[in-house]
Amino acid sequence: MEQDLMAPKQRRKFLQILAGGVGVLLAAAAGWPLLRFLAPPGGGDASDQVTINRGEVAPGSVHMFQYRGRPAVVLQPSPGEFVALSAVCTHLGCIVQWQEEEDLFLCPCHAGRFAADGTVISGPPPEALETLPVTLEGDQILVG
Amino acid sequence: MSPLKALIDFFDVRLGVREIYQRELAGYLLPRRVNIWYTLGSVVLTLFIVQILTGILLLIYYVPDAEKAFQSVQYITDDVAFGWLFRMLHAVGANVIIIALLLHMLSVLFMAAYKGRRELTWLSGFILFNLALILCLTGYLLPWSQLSFWATTVATDVPGAIPVVGDLLVEFLRGGETVNNLTLGRFFALHVVGLPLVLLALIGFHLFCVKRRGISTPPFGEEYQQEELLPFFEHEEHPGGTPFFPNYVVKDAAVICFFLAFMLAIVFYAPGLFFPPSAFEPADPFVTPPGIKPEWYFLWAYQTLKIFPSEIIGLGVQIIFMTFLALLPFIDRGAERRPAKRPIFLTCFVLGILLFVGISIWGHYS
Repeated sequence: MEQDLMAPKQRRKFLQILAGGVGVLLAAAAGWPLLRFLAPPGGGDASDQVTINRGEVAPGSVHMFQYRGRPAVVLQPSPGEFVALSAVCTHLGCIVQWQEEEDLFLCPCHAGRFAADGTVISGPPPEALETLPVTLEGDQILVG
Repeated sequence: MSPLKALIDFFDVRLGVREIYQRELAGYLLPRRVNIWYTLGSVVLTLFIVQILTGILLLIYYVPDAEKAFQSVQYITDDVAFGWLFRMLHAVGANVIIIALLLHMLSVLFMAAYKGRRELTWLSGFILFNLALILCLTGYLLPWSQLSFWATTVATDVPGAIPVVGDLLVEFLRGGETVNNLTLGRFFALHVVGLPLVLLALIGFHLFCVKRRGISTPPFGEEYQQEELLPFFEHEEHPGGTPFFPNYVVKDAAVICFFLAFMLAIVFYAPGLFFPPSAFEPADPFVTPPGIKPEWYFLWAYQTLKIFPSEIIGLGVQIIFMTFLALLPFIDRGAERRPAKRPIFLTCFVLGILLFVGISIWGHYS
């Protein structure tokens, strides 16, 4: 008699677990495409390289460009010498600006100052700007 | 105590959710012989939700500019992960909604469920159907393909048949003499914001009417009794009927699953069904592709315009037919709802369906 009373309960429990399991599976089947759809497109790999015309970077001036989806800068501190840096301030992620008269980078957010080679001069930035590899190929500057 | 029970208790002491559950779900009774045709409203509602969700996802990558729209849709389809899936779900979903809406309206007509002071329910539902058609039309232009450009050119040309103001109306619709970037802008705004807002408000009103007046009893079987209409408002009760939850909700869920499966079957096994080759070419305002046709649900209107010697007569016939349908509950005042006892109506019903199908097929092959 007791067994008869228990059976429907057990059946209900089993069906609840089954429905829950199917629900989880369906949610995963719908959720995976949604996550992939919303995920940012795959960033570049290590072989990503940006080519800039040498003429675009006059001595003492800078050229801003996108490198792996983030702002970067290339400058010619002295004739024939090229330096490429990430333009993202290491403090809170603002974009540094080149101050031609002072030969330094200034972060407009909290007045962090970086030298032309990216090292910190003053202000809150905890570390230097990231240096990017630069090579010259004829009239082309290759970054990355 | 189980965590689920604890959670329900938490909400119950604050919001009285058990009382709501009892009153609105388990204790809300529907007619005992309620059939699967009654589930089509829930099917349409679910499909609308699918459209809104997939539409929001497509908005992330879509660019409403004549120069970029086609490329952005190609990008969604070819480059974004599962972009093809969401685009197809949206495009196929639009067609499946029209099928479900047509079936819903036909079942309401067949069972004369618009009778018994349900005029407002019918009228709001009929406007919803037309709104869905306009949503389809405005959404059709957005991919900015040859198909969408020229189908919209043909469709927006129709009001031009109206005397005196026709040309002005066409120009106003398009934002210019021809379909152009401004047409895309206004269709985009209508499709993603304007019409969905009106749609949501109307769905709310339609559901309110359904709930407030009560579900109509199916006019079949020996148990059916003609409802006596009193001179004041009365909610139609169904003592001893089927509980909305879980009995009816399970039936609803089954039919919804069937429609979703039908939609997915088209997406996976017949993806080209609603995409002729001109849907894959960017819009060219200087080249009209041969044999451009509207979507299947507009074919009857398209062919009607061609049958009559002048466009204005064809348009007039359509307007009269649609107005008659909209006002049917005010015209058909008889209390009888059993189809077998309404031979004239039944004949018109069957002939009407055959005429719709026949003219659509004619339009397709003309």
